[in-house]
Amino acid sequence: MSLSDLVLSLADNKQMLGLRYAEWATRAPSLEADIAAAAMGLDDLGHSRVLYGCLEPLGADPRGPERESDPAAIRNLAYFDEPWTEWSQFVAANAILDTAFTVVIEACVNGSVEVLRQRLRKMLMEERYHFLHGRSWLRSGIEPAPLLRAWQEALELFGPPGSDIDGLSMGPDQMRARLEEQLETTAPHVTIHWELWDPLRRRTAPGAIDTHTFGMLRGLEEKKYAPPAAAKQTAV
Amino acid sequence: MSERHNGYYKRVSGDAVEYEVFARKTREEPLRQVGSVVAPDDDLAMAYARATYDEERWCEMAIVRKEHVIELWQPGEP
Repeated sequence: MSLSDLVLSLADNKQMLGLRYAEWATRAPSLEADIAAAAMGLDDLGHSRVLYGCLEPLGADPRGPERESDPAAIRNLAYFDEPWTEWSQFVAANAILDTAFTVVIEACVNGSVEVLRQRLRKMLMEERYHFLHGRSWLRSGIEPAPLLRAWQEALELFGPPGSDIDGLSMGPDQMRARLEEQLETTAPHVTIHWELWDPLRRRTAPGAIDTHTFGMLRGLEEKKYAPPAAAKQTAV
Repeated sequence: MSERHNGYYKRVSGDAVEYEVFARKTREEPLRQVGSVVAPDDDLAMAYARATYDEERWCEMAIVRKEHVIELWQPGEP
C-alpha cells in the first residue's frame, strides 16, 4: 500500500462525497442547508481535483484503464455506492466521513512529503466549515443506523492496526484518536472483518457505485444526448 | 428553518434565529452588511454564512445575532 494509492482513494472519495452532497442541493431541510450542500459539494469536487493532480508528482500514478469500464475500480467507500435517500445519511457522512477525510489530509499536511504538505493545506481551512455544519446537525440528533455505518467506514478508511504508510504523520490508531477528539466522542463498538479489507479501496464491503453515477463520472450520461456528429467525434 | 422531511430530523422553524452577515474585501474599507442567514446555532450560522456569501473574495466576515444588534433609531424616526 503506497502513499499514491491512499491519495487516489482520498481523491475518489472526495469526488463521490462532493457528488452526493450536490444531489441534496435542492432537497435539504432549508434553503440555507441547500446552499451549504451545494457549496460543500463544490469544495469537495475541487479537493478531488487537487488530489488527482498530486498523483503525478508523487511518482507512481495508480490509475489504470479499468477505471473507464469497471465501477469497482473507483476506490470509494461503500457509503457512496448508492445515492442517499435520507437526510440522516447526509448528516452522518458530513459529520463523520468528511471529518475522517480531513484527518487523513492532516496526516498528509503534517507528514514528510513536500507536494502534499504544500498543496493540501488550504483544504483544511475550507473543511472547517464542513465540520461546523456536520457537527451542528449531528447534535440535533439523527437516526443511529447511518451514524454507525459512517463510523465503521471511517475506521476502515484509516486501515487495520499496524498498516502505517510512509510519509504520513499519523497511523490508523492515531487517526482514530484524532477523529474521536474532533467529534468529542468515542467511536461506537463495531466489528470489522479485516480479512475482507481491500487495501486499495480501503473497505470490507463488496460492490461499487451505481451504474447511473458511474456513467455520469465517465461522461457517458452527457454523451447520450450529444448529436450524432459529436458522438462520432467522441468515439474517435 | 422549514421542515421538508417529516420525521427525518428534529429541527423546526421555532429553533432558528436570524443572523446578520458582515464582510469587507480590504482592510481599508469598513465592514458592511452583506445579508443574513437563519440557523439554530452559531456553528451552523457560520457554515451557512460562508456557503451563502462566498462569491466575493472577502478578507473578513463576521456574523451577529440580529437580536443582539442595538438600534439607536430606525428610518423615519428623528
